[in-house]
Amino acid sequence: MSNGTKERRFVSGNDRITVYENNLITLTFEDGTAVERLEPRRLFPVNLLSSYITLLDKEGREIAVIRELTDLDKDSREIIRRSLEDYYLVPHILRIVTVTEKYGTLHWKVETERGIKEFDIRNRNHDIRINKDGCVRVRDSDDNRYVIPDYKRLDKHSRNYLISDL
Amino acid sequence: MDSEKFILKNKSLPDEAIPVIESMQRDGEKVLFVIVGDLTLKGRYAPTALIFTDQAAVRCDSGEVSRYLYKDMTEVESKRMYGNATLSAVMPNGKREIFFRYTYAVAALCDAAALFINHLNNGADLMEENAIMTVTFERALSVCPKCGRTLLHPGAECIMCRSKIKIIKRLSKYITPQIKTLIVCIILSLITTAMSLVPPTITGFIVDVVFGTSEKSNIGILNTIADMVGPDTMRLLFTMIACLLFTYILQYGIGIVRSYLMRTVGDKAVAALRSDIYRKAQYLPMKFYDKTSTGSVINRIASDSSTLQQFMLRITQEAVVHAFQLVGIVIIMMTLNPHLTLLSLIPVIFIVIATRIFSKKIHPYYRRIWRRWSSVFSTLSDTIPCIRVVKSFTGEERSAQRFEEKNNDWLQMDLKIGKLATSFPQIISFMVTCGSLIIWGFGGTKVLEGDPAYSAGLIVSFISYASMFYNPVTFFANLSDSFQGALASTEKILDILEAEPETHAESHVVPDKLEGKIEFLHVGFSFDRSKKVLDDVTVTINPGEVVGIVGTTGSGKSTLVNLLMRFYDGYSGEILVDGHNIKNFDLSAFRAQIGYVQQEPMMFSDTIFNNIAYSNPDATVEEVLHAADVANAHEFIARQPDAYDTVLGERGVGVSGGEKQRISIARAVLKSPSILIFDEATAAVDSETEHLIQEAIDRLIAGKTTLMIAHRLSTLRRANRIIVVDGGKIIENGSPEELMALKGKYYKLVQIQSMTADAERMREEERL
Repeated sequence: MSNGTKERRFVSGNDRITVYENNLITLTFEDGTAVERLEPRRLFPVNLLSSYITLLDKEGREIAVIRELTDLDKDSREIIRRSLEDYYLVPHILRIVTVTEKYGTLHWKVETERGIKEFDIRNRNHDIRINKDGCVRVRDSDDNRYVIPDYKRLDKHSRNYLISDL
Repeated sequence: MDSEKFILKNKSLPDEAIPVIESMQRDGEKVLFVIVGDLTLKGRYAPTALIFTDQAAVRCDSGEVSRYLYKDMTEVESKRMYGNATLSAVMPNGKREIFFRYTYAVAALCDAAALFINHLNNGADLMEENAIMTVTFERALSVCPKCGRTLLHPGAECIMCRSKIKIIKRLSKYITPQIKTLIVCIILSLITTAMSLVPPTITGFIVDVVFGTSEKSNIGILNTIADMVGPDTMRLLFTMIACLLFTYILQYGIGIVRSYLMRTVGDKAVAALRSDIYRKAQYLPMKFYDKTSTGSVINRIASDSSTLQQFMLRITQEAVVHAFQLVGIVIIMMTLNPHLTLLSLIPVIFIVIATRIFSKKIHPYYRRIWRRWSSVFSTLSDTIPCIRVVKSFTGEERSAQRFEEKNNDWLQMDLKIGKLATSFPQIISFMVTCGSLIIWGFGGTKVLEGDPAYSAGLIVSFISYASMFYNPVTFFANLSDSFQGALASTEKILDILEAEPETHAESHVVPDKLEGKIEFLHVGFSFDRSKKVLDDVTVTINPGEVVGIVGTTGSGKSTLVNLLMRFYDGYSGEILVDGHNIKNFDLSAFRAQIGYVQQEPMMFSDTIFNNIAYSNPDATVEEVLHAADVANAHEFIARQPDAYDTVLGERGVGVSGGEKQRISIARAVLKSPSILIFDEATAAVDSETEHLIQEAIDRLIAGKTTLMIAHRLSTLRRANRIIVVDGGKIIENGSPEELMALKGKYYKLVQIQSMTADAERMREEERL
């Protein structure tokens, strides 16, 4: 860029991604240079799940950005996918078991693919957000996230709980 | 006397002034306008007048008439003091003499009058100056000249004196699309009302014919039914019960349909009205927002529109229903028994009077409660946001006590009104019941006396009718109150709906890509005509120049930018961009070419991505990322857990002022404007953040015409030209080196600021 901005580097299909440790990865460029200990993070964790994944180093500096997961070869893609899965724990709510309310705070007991979980929702307007496509994002009082991929496909019981809160 | 009506004046003339004016007019002097004052020269409140003719100003004050020829007065000056103000002039004897004294109520007019005399003495055209005064008078009117009602804001049209048809026409726009449904509603209302009138007659029939001894009632249709049923009283009873059931079903069934339709009509009308006000509010000029608080605009959209809707529905529906009910009941009662009717109407008179007295009495209480409540609320909104200050000065107990006091005030007032408010309905019910006692007493006697015109059934029906009578009566008794409320709301709503939107000139030149040459030619501007904010500013800024604008607070530097952005159009002189008058540009296309970064960046409560993309909703993801890079914002955004999907303004979102500023710079980058304006963009951030922002600004301004308003001169190191504004005038203009050599105001500012910077550096070094 002419005005002195650092050019953003995008990961190309010929770059390789290997596991460094846990959810950290090593990025090896086509020319053989490698950067270790990178953490893949989504730039749009809500709206774009498999595109624009930034790779940050220990200091939080951006080394490169993966435009689309599909740009990568199959192994690299799998590593990134698993790393993101570790980093972003957003359980799917399969069923709302009970909803109770106390002093304006909602208490939800839900069944997720990771098991039963109970949590509080402080502000039903801000913390339960419903998308046009039926996807509902829930944030609990501890800032954990949950998602209902399509509330229309919940059982009637859960749907009634949800609708009465919206 | 007639000519007096046509004289321009701010209030009705005091009596003593009228003969003075008349005698002057007889002498052939032309009376132009009169300022009716409120303070004598000695400082007592009394109506006074300052009559302006084509030759002189004539003062009528405490029975004395003094005449001041314009040509005798020099340096006419209006001076605002404390609670009062004076007009003075240097008289032929060389001394300054005060010739008019007044309160602030007429100060704006007197300011203009001072200019009027001075301009005339400088050879200005009389008619032209008079025209300016006419405008000033119109703007200064804070009460309606016809009815004396206080207006919404000075110069507003009086809603009481406006043609009511025009108002109705204006509002009917929202009702007419629903007109068919409304007519259906009214018809249904009439049916339900008619149905509600039936049961008392049937109950009367049951008492008389079924239980009693009468063979016939005086209602023809019921007799026919009785004939068809036959002599079996049990069968007749159940037939009558069936009749009652039928009318109830009809009445309440239709009632459901009607209520639903009414709701639809009302909701649709108010939704349309609300959207219209909001849309209009978006296009109103900044001038409007200067004189109207944003809170009041919000209130008008949110609550005044529903007040109005409720009233419209009341008028179109309830009024019709109640009127019909009233007439219906009176007719039925009269046909049943005229004597008893008149008798049973006696309590109505008392009830109407009692209701009027009650609502008059309770109204001020409600206002007091409301005021107490708003003072409780303001204590809340004062202290909670300032909790840091409260704690740091250990004011917790004080503020708790203050709140308790206010809350107690509210409690006392509410308890006080409680007695009145709860006893009134009981008293009314008591009176209604007493009304029935009259009917029992009078009618009962007649029945026992064997008067053929009276029967037990008649009395039973009468009591039912009489009790139905009070609903519509109290409705009409209270209608005027809700009319007043609706009128106030209408006034506020029309103020928005009828305000002039931002001016769009006839020729819409759509600028393709501006070079960025800016010229101010003899630009003058004043918010209220009294004080010039900008005075004859002429300056040329060439494409690609980076111009720093410095000056003290209130010197007019922000106004310079506001005029360029076309937030205000009422200036004299011309502003040209690329040689075109900016008033000829298409407003939105022109603004699209300007990137504007404010001191306090405004963020919408939306995702960071959408906040950046606000300037260009069609931008691709990568364009937004690039803009964030240029603005030095990407890194901190990526550090947020939700990155670009972070919703600003939510709990737990830690975005600092400097970070918001960088988001707003990214917004400006994405717009890729030809002209950039920074209004104190780094005034509110620490020096490290300032460095990051400065870096971002440096990248952004490359090759673009840039105006930078700044207090901190360090912000202006990239500027190749500095303009120093003071008192609405450009006092210095040149490269930083030139201005330093000039040793003027800029030099002084640099000296002061580098001294503080040195001191800071020394302190810094000491710490190390």
